Amino acid sequence: MALSEQAGAAASFERRVLRSAGEHHYLRVRLELPDGGARPNVAQFKQLVVSALKELHGEVGAALPVDVLTYEEKTLSAILRVVSSGLVKLWSALTLLGFYQNRRCAFRVLQTSPFLLALAGNSRELVLD
Amino acid sequence: MVRFKNRYVLCEVVSEDPRCRQCIEDRAVGLAVRDAIGRVHGDFGLACCSISFTVKYLNAYTGTVLLRCRKDSYRLLCSALPFVRQLESRNQRYPCFLNTLHVGGTIRTCQKFLIEYNRRQLLMLLQSCTNEEERRCVQKSLLSCSLTEEQCLSGNEDDDDDGTDTD
Repeated sequence: MALSEQAGAAASFERRVLRSAGEHHYLRVRLELPDGGARPNVAQFKQLVVSALKELHGEVGAALPVDVLTYEEKTLSAILRVVSSGLVKLWSALTLLGFYQNRRCAFRVLQTSPFLLALAGNSRELVLD
Repeated sequence: MVRFKNRYVLCEVVSEDPRCRQCIEDRAVGLAVRDAIGRVHGDFGLACCSISFTVKYLNAYTGTVLLRCRKDSYRLLCSALPFVRQLESRNQRYPCFLNTLHVGGTIRTCQKFLIEYNRRQLLMLLQSCTNEEERRCVQKSLLSCSLTEEQCLSGNEDDDDDGTDTD
């Protein structure tokens, strides 16, 4: 106890612990499409996610609160927010989605976390010398 | 070895159209329920419920239906039952809905519940009788119903699917 207090005083950062489960989960996803095809805009992207949910989990799945926080049309990557109880449903629906406008496509889930800040950096993309 | 645990859902078909009775049959009810599960819970829910899903017992006269599914997925089944809106058979469709009466672990508990339920229904009928003839009829069937239960209690087998008519 005393030791951690000393360490806390020495360091300039503060440590916070969240004991209850987070309300939301955040996913960073990338949509892979064959080259030279039509790229979805934000609305079409959300529509694609909802249609994937509806296919696998029906109307109950389509009613899950899913938000597209950011979407980059150039790189086709997005950050999704979903209530924690629906994380598995959303993830499985994204994984099993195979077609966008009758052409092959795939969702890659790059990162997932209960904290949005954790998606700020990706340790897998670090270039270490 | 562990036995597979099932849940039996006892429901009644309620319809305003009396012609709906003729289309209450195994296949039509099964298809309508499957369709509702597929619509509400998607491919995943349908696949979960399809494991050992059958229509175990069906009484077209009283509109009683007994459905069976695995214990893990009975919540999916029960939540999809209110979304059954019509029964279709022989190219005819009638609007109706399913009223869930009881969810039990064995056919026997469902049968016991059904007997008790039907007896209560008969008592309610008895109270709403208007003339003497009706009253005598209902009283007669009430007596026969208790006889049926004694018979089935004496000759009971473990978890057997013998549908017993109570009226």
